Amino acid sequence: MVMADYEDFVRAHLPRLLRYATMLTGEREQAADLVQDVLVKAYRRWSRISDAEHPDRYVLRMVTNGYLSWRRSRSARLIAVGDAPDEARPDDFASDHAVREDMWQRLARLPRRQRAVVVLRYYEQLADADIADLLGCAQATVRAHARKALTTLRHGLDIDRMAQAKES
Amino acid sequence: MDLENLIKDTFTAHEPDAPDSDQVLAAARRRLDRKRAVVNLPLAAGAGVVLLVLAAVAVVALNRPAHDDQVATGAARTSGPPTVEAPVEAGIADLTMPFSLGWLPPGKADYLARRINTGGSAAEPDKPVYGGEYMLTVTSGRQVLLVDVQEMRTMPIEQASFKSGPGRPVTIGGRAGVESSHSGGPGGYEVYLTHPDGGSLYVNVAAQPGSTAAEQQLIDAGRRVAENVTFPGKTTVTPAFSLGKLPDGLRMCAFDVEKGPSGPRTGYSVGTCGTRPAIQVHSAESAQVSGTAGQPVQGHATRYLDENGYRTVWILKAVHGAPIAVAGSRPQEELYAVADHLVLPQ
Repeated sequence: MVMADYEDFVRAHLPRLLRYATMLTGEREQAADLVQDVLVKAYRRWSRISDAEHPDRYVLRMVTNGYLSWRRSRSARLIAVGDAPDEARPDDFASDHAVREDMWQRLARLPRRQRAVVVLRYYEQLADADIADLLGCAQATVRAHARKALTTLRHGLDIDRMAQAKES
Repeated sequence: MDLENLIKDTFTAHEPDAPDSDQVLAAARRRLDRKRAVVNLPLAAGAGVVLLVLAAVAVVALNRPAHDDQVATGAARTSGPPTVEAPVEAGIADLTMPFSLGWLPPGKADYLARRINTGGSAAEPDKPVYGGEYMLTVTSGRQVLLVDVQEMRTMPIEQASFKSGPGRPVTIGGRAGVESSHSGGPGGYEVYLTHPDGGSLYVNVAAQPGSTAAEQQLIDAGRRVAENVTFPGKTTVTPAFSLGKLPDGLRMCAFDVEKGPSGPRTGYSVGTCGTRPAIQVHSAESAQVSGTAGQPVQGHATRYLDENGYRTVWILKAVHGAPIAVAGSRPQEELYAVADHLVLPQ
């Protein structure tokens, strides 16, 4: 009975969890690894999770915590010691793909908490209050992370030039 | 297109990158199927349970020795057993890990060391079990190895599950275990060894994505790491600040001490350890601070923020110019009581 309940939950929510993990980690294998770990842990704790008011939110938090505490911290270190990617060239803005890939790279360079906030806000489309609850922090902290992330993402990004390039 | 829409479009464009659900579910099932029993971890409430021991007698062990092949272990600063009382107000207390690493692969090691309440055992569900974990990034030239050494006190080796493939029996350092090696898989080399106090010790050595390592190198490194783990731990890590005396009924449930390129970070979870920790105490960044002026703490200005009952006391310039956050859905007085007794660097 417990296993059936767990299976039903996983089948219903796994695609979303995998997409979410992909946005967090930016990398397919790490996303699979992260979610697989969470599925195993969730099974062990299922009696507790299933009693939660929002089991899906609970598991989403597990994925987030797993990302913040482990995978991403290492990625962040690696990025921190690596060479800074080149600024995007004007020619790159000739296609939507180049623009998005440039943004994807910018997202990858964000500190882990900032990226989590950006993903939760703009991909999961959660309200700041929900993000704060999920991350276990204050709403003001969420806003501060978002503000810093947007500032970083915007740096060197010429939105107007992008628009002109698209129109030409 | 504005920035926020560009971000949304970027995420949407990368949705097809997500892994296949069936494959991930099948892999998770394989790991679960190897477990004969459901591991249900009751979170333990621990009245009268021995406090987490903070010993301040051993040296910080994780800094890489001068020579690459030297042992990275904690040599006792003084002789005799670790003390059992947490030093209060006398200085920042080193934190003792429950086990020590005797060897690491050559290179520069950044680490996150943590000790955490992992739940009660089946035999003694009311007694919290503390487990330790070292997560290291070892950089040698262009090669980056990820080393994870973790106590799994509630999981015997019979329930071992691997990330990349099936396990096979092995004996390392006289301890029975199971190991798996797939240099190209996400697991790299993994081994579970019998833990002397029950459960298992997990060792994982893998190449950082983007870096490469020969399978035999991972096997050799993983086995050698596992062989040189010693119990109980004498290794200590030095936090940026200590908790000091806690209000009655509260105790440390976990700590994290990280040393890496982004600087040292310290965090504690404080509570009863029976449910989700009530109070988080951690070093933070100045940009995170918000709220109105609060009462001073140990001569430091503070900011206080109450958002729907989730309260944060920011102690400004508490650790080398950076703030400390004391936060949780707890009364303001309790947060200040914790803050007042923190042991901060001079």
